[in-house]
Amino acid sequence: MSSNHELGMSSYVGIGVGLMLIVTVEVILTYQHFAPRTLLFALLCLACLEAYIAIMYLMHVKYERPILYWTIFPATLFVLVFLCYLLPDAFRMFNMRLLK
Amino acid sequence: MSQTEMTITVGHDVIMEASPYGIDKKKLGMWIFIVSDACTFGAFLFAYGYMRIGAPVWGTPFGFSSILNGLLMTAVLLSSSLTMLAAVRASQENQKESANKWLGITMLLGSIFAVLHLREWFHLFGEGWRLFSNPTGGAVQFGATFFSVTGLHLTHVVTGVIALAFVARGYIQGRYDQSHIETAGLYWHFVDLVWMFVFPFMYLMNAR
Repeated sequence: MSSNHELGMSSYVGIGVGLMLIVTVEVILTYQHFAPRTLLFALLCLACLEAYIAIMYLMHVKYERPILYWTIFPATLFVLVFLCYLLPDAFRMFNMRLLK
Repeated sequence: MSQTEMTITVGHDVIMEASPYGIDKKKLGMWIFIVSDACTFGAFLFAYGYMRIGAPVWGTPFGFSSILNGLLMTAVLLSSSLTMLAAVRASQENQKESANKWLGITMLLGSIFAVLHLREWFHLFGEGWRLFSNPTGGAVQFGATFFSVTGLHLTHVVTGVIALAFVARGYIQGRYDQSHIETAGLYWHFVDLVWMFVFPFMYLMNAR
């Protein structure tokens, strides 16, 4: 660990409880009968929030040198987002089936 | 100035330039692994999204009991992350017994997660879901994507439990130090992190 500014165990328990609350909100949203696209967007936002908290606090990136964050995350995010460039083809596939 | 030029020799010892990241090389190696593994899971989840959008009818096999089971699995995995943090903290304070106790609890929670995971799988098998078959007559890709993604995650959990057992054994014997526990902890938190995406996408989006 690179720093002495880490949180105490009670704070980590608070973070764990907070993450569990976010998951509970996800479950509640699932049963609100939103349109799939709306639900997907909401779940994706909440999952990203959880991931951010986990990376920063549980994986201690917040307490490492910023260069670690800037080396790893922009490139990884770029790759993950760039994967989506193929998604329009899935819609094309869906529409072709409907026309059949 | 290059890395070689920055190398300083004092007597017979070579003092290398410190890592710009200021972290142990094991930890840096684990971060590189995590990045590659995140891309693997990203690709799997993307393939799931692609097939789901392309399929006219998609299976929604998860009733409320399955969602509750998933919620329980999440609670178990999140708790194991906290016990892992406790193990890292104890090892930093050189409390070997306490660190091993927390590592043991983490392994136990990981095993409970795996059992709950398999229970869900067998429940689906009982309903007729398979890797390439759909009992409701809809898209067969549901089984392919669900069992692939959750199976890959389950493999990571089981591998993590085995790795923690090795680290704990080495730590007791004095072969490993706190940096090994910290590196194993980083992996364990990553497994938890992946579940934060797998649960909403694979379970909640397929709830009845």
